[in-house]
Amino acid sequence: MSEQTKDYKPSITIADQQAAANNGAREFMMDVRTTDLEVNMGPQHPATHGVMRILIRADGELVTGAQPHLGYLHRCAEKIGENVEWLQYLPYTDRYDYLAAMNNNLGYSLAVEALLGIEIPRRATMLRTICVELNRIASHLVAFGTYGLDLGAFTPFLYCFREREWLLMLFEKICGARLTYSYLRIGGVFNDAPPGWLEEVANFCDVFDEKWVEYRDLLMMNHIFIKRTADVGVITPEQALDFGLTGPMVRGSGIDWDLRRDMPYMIYDEIWKAGAFQVPLGSGAQGQLGDCWDRVYVRVQEMVESIKIVRWCLANIAEGPTIAELPKVLRVPPGEAYVGIENPRGELGHYLVSDGGKIAVRCRVRGPSFCNLPILEDIMPHTFLADSVAIIGSTDVVIGETDR
Amino acid sequence: MNDGNALLHLLQPLAPDFVPDWAVVLTVAIIGVSIVIAIVGLIALAGTWAERKVSAHIQCRYGPMYVGGWHGWAQALADGIKLISKEDMIPIGADRKLFMLAPSILLGAVFAALCAMPLAPAFYFGYIDLGVFMILAFSSLTTIGVVMAGWASNSKWSLYGAMREAAQVVAYEIPLGITLLAPLLVVGTFNLVEASNAQADYFGMGWLAFKNPFVLVSSVIFFIAVLAETKRAPFDLPEAESELVAGFLTEYSGIRWSLFFMEEYAAMFLMSAVTAFFFFGGFESPFSYLAMQSFGDGIVYQLVCFLTLVVKGSFGIFMMMWLRWTLPRLRIDQVMTMGYKYLTPLALICVLGAGIWEAIKHAVS
Amino acid sequence: MDFQGIYDRLRAIEAPGLQGCDLPRAGDPEDKKDQGRSGDAFVLVDPAHWVDFFKACKSDEKLAFEQVVDLSATDPAKDDENFWVNVQLLSLRHKHRLPVKAILPKSVSRIASLALVYRAAQWHERECAEMFGITFDGHPDPRNILLPDDWAGWPLRKDYEFPKEYHGISCE
Repeated sequence: MSEQTKDYKPSITIADQQAAANNGAREFMMDVRTTDLEVNMGPQHPATHGVMRILIRADGELVTGAQPHLGYLHRCAEKIGENVEWLQYLPYTDRYDYLAAMNNNLGYSLAVEALLGIEIPRRATMLRTICVELNRIASHLVAFGTYGLDLGAFTPFLYCFREREWLLMLFEKICGARLTYSYLRIGGVFNDAPPGWLEEVANFCDVFDEKWVEYRDLLMMNHIFIKRTADVGVITPEQALDFGLTGPMVRGSGIDWDLRRDMPYMIYDEIWKAGAFQVPLGSGAQGQLGDCWDRVYVRVQEMVESIKIVRWCLANIAEGPTIAELPKVLRVPPGEAYVGIENPRGELGHYLVSDGGKIAVRCRVRGPSFCNLPILEDIMPHTFLADSVAIIGSTDVVIGETDR
Repeated sequence: MNDGNALLHLLQPLAPDFVPDWAVVLTVAIIGVSIVIAIVGLIALAGTWAERKVSAHIQCRYGPMYVGGWHGWAQALADGIKLISKEDMIPIGADRKLFMLAPSILLGAVFAALCAMPLAPAFYFGYIDLGVFMILAFSSLTTIGVVMAGWASNSKWSLYGAMREAAQVVAYEIPLGITLLAPLLVVGTFNLVEASNAQADYFGMGWLAFKNPFVLVSSVIFFIAVLAETKRAPFDLPEAESELVAGFLTEYSGIRWSLFFMEEYAAMFLMSAVTAFFFFGGFESPFSYLAMQSFGDGIVYQLVCFLTLVVKGSFGIFMMMWLRWTLPRLRIDQVMTMGYKYLTPLALICVLGAGIWEAIKHAVS
Repeated sequence: MDFQGIYDRLRAIEAPGLQGCDLPRAGDPEDKKDQGRSGDAFVLVDPAHWVDFFKACKSDEKLAFEQVVDLSATDPAKDDENFWVNVQLLSLRHKHRLPVKAILPKSVSRIASLALVYRAAQWHERECAEMFGITFDGHPDPRNILLPDDWAGWPLRKDYEFPKEYHGISCE
């Protein structure tokens, strides 16, 4: 296929294409003039993982240009950050990447704590780690399940959601909400785990160890799935670095980078030194290095690693307070801090600027999905329309985070 | 009963004397057509319910449980009533005539093909010597309906679905037809009733698939081609839910949409039945053999044969559903590659092999 | 390398545009008004040498900043006459970060684009431009990204007035 497509030039904007070759027309061997079809994938589309619009210029089934259009879910999170108090902003953080709300809470809380310079109690950090890793599993379950759904495998989706249902019940027990938690607060966590919760988490870990094998065998190793995803949407390591990709996108291309290990926050350095988890990398096992299959497999393996981290935390759980003492009306000392954490989708960064008051001066959110998305303009051309669905699914974008 | 119309023979004695012949024939024809329509309706009802239950159990959930009482058996009926009561929406800019005509062509083609299918060895709407040929010919007409639906919807996504359907069906008609030649070489007739009768030996298990190993291989290829013809996963690109919203069906709603699905389930049953007739015994099974031995050629035997056909058709439908809910979708170029580069040569080899096997068998015996 | 090591290296290679650095410091206990500054240390760069500075950061062996993690702007206060343009750099090889800041006068609001040095900066700059009204010279695709194409005003400025209506839809 690649031999035939060498003559097609990808377009960044539709205007470019029209300015270029003959108003979008191209001459074939038989002197038939054809034009490319401009199709809108979204904003309402089953496969764009949210309200995103991708303007695809396609020559029949072959995509010659792709242009994402964002902003359909822009809820002005950054402007709101400049208008509400520090603690009042926490529920807004839940809602950018609503599939991994614990991680968002953590990113924001760590950034504020960096400005405050306070010490977090150990039990709080342990509970935070457990919740964050369980949320990572829940998020990857959605990513994996919906990826199968995009490709036409309807069943693994239900199996993933069966496990996710259990996780959401666990989260409901600890903080009362299933999707947007606001549980990880500035200074620690909101409340202690109810009695029996830690045992239930251990139970979940034991069951999940058997279940993830089902996902691998049913979907990852399915011959048709491999045909649809291997050698599709290859991201080279150079591209990954140039585009600022982070998370499974960059690990899928073989680059060994995980913020939990390389720039540790909370107690991840302790967990790494104890040898409790590994960082899975893409290896080109089923096709080229950096194809869709690699990225999806990295996510499946990350779920297993998260279980190991949760087990370590359960084994080493400390007693004690679950939140640091903070005044009711929080005034953060003046300064600015950037803290980046490893979200299921990549590096979630919060850049907070304070002037010593109750309200932030600037609350900048670096959403990993926003930064992972431009790669589509580069890797979607020269593929088929059916592949574009596979590629978008493998980037695992959540539009809440892209648009904030 | 070899003169054409079993139904006519059945009902003619019942007609009163004062009714002219042509009226009797007309009435019988209308009754026959109504039976076929009823069959299609029943298949659609049962098929929809079965799809929901099969898919649910594969996905670790229950499916319909409430409507009608036992396991929601009346769910399809309730859905049908709801769909009839929906607003008939035709998009602006859509070609109205073609838009309205498309599901009718689809369903009409499958109706016509179903008319060629006998329901019992003595109950058929016509003793057609070219039975399976007629069925294949009519079921190919469904492509026109699909392309019409995709074009008339005035939507680029529907157009994609229609183009994919056209390409896919053309690619898989070839192995469909060629693999059918293998059992035809063994049984020597296109007539479905005669083909079924020829498999009555070996206590009702003398199925063509067991009589010739190349016919067994062809049955697999035929089944794959049938999946592609009926647009079932893994070949459901024309209607690829997650890519093209609903492909060529995107703009259809209400009763028009349900017509498409009636056609889908009817076609599934039809092609499963054809597979059954030419590969897996048709009406014959150990039970029909027993019925024949105990009760002769009468109503019990006919009933058992009918039930055998229903069971075999249902099993084929179940296999198709099972595959749909397990396998992901193939991409269109992979579908075409498989059809042209792998299945067609394999089909040709099967036919060749079947012929050589038969020749050797006849020479030896 | 820690921040001091990075800063020393920047001075050693004479990175163009380097104006200085700002370290966190504790407040003066005598002076109630001086609360000090907490958080990160950052490097100040002259906007006139913006692109060259980043090229130096990217190409130097000891610094090796392969990724731009974040590029954004800040409007510190309504009466402040400057914007800040903040860039977070990341080196995967050496596992260090560098916050970089340029003080950009609001009257100027123009700075060179980093889109051709780091592809990741392209979308960040689009967002910055539409939110603050900063023009990035040399940007290959300066369209609005999150806001509609015909949105009036620059929302993240401190003196932004919310519109009363948009295309006939009331925004009250």
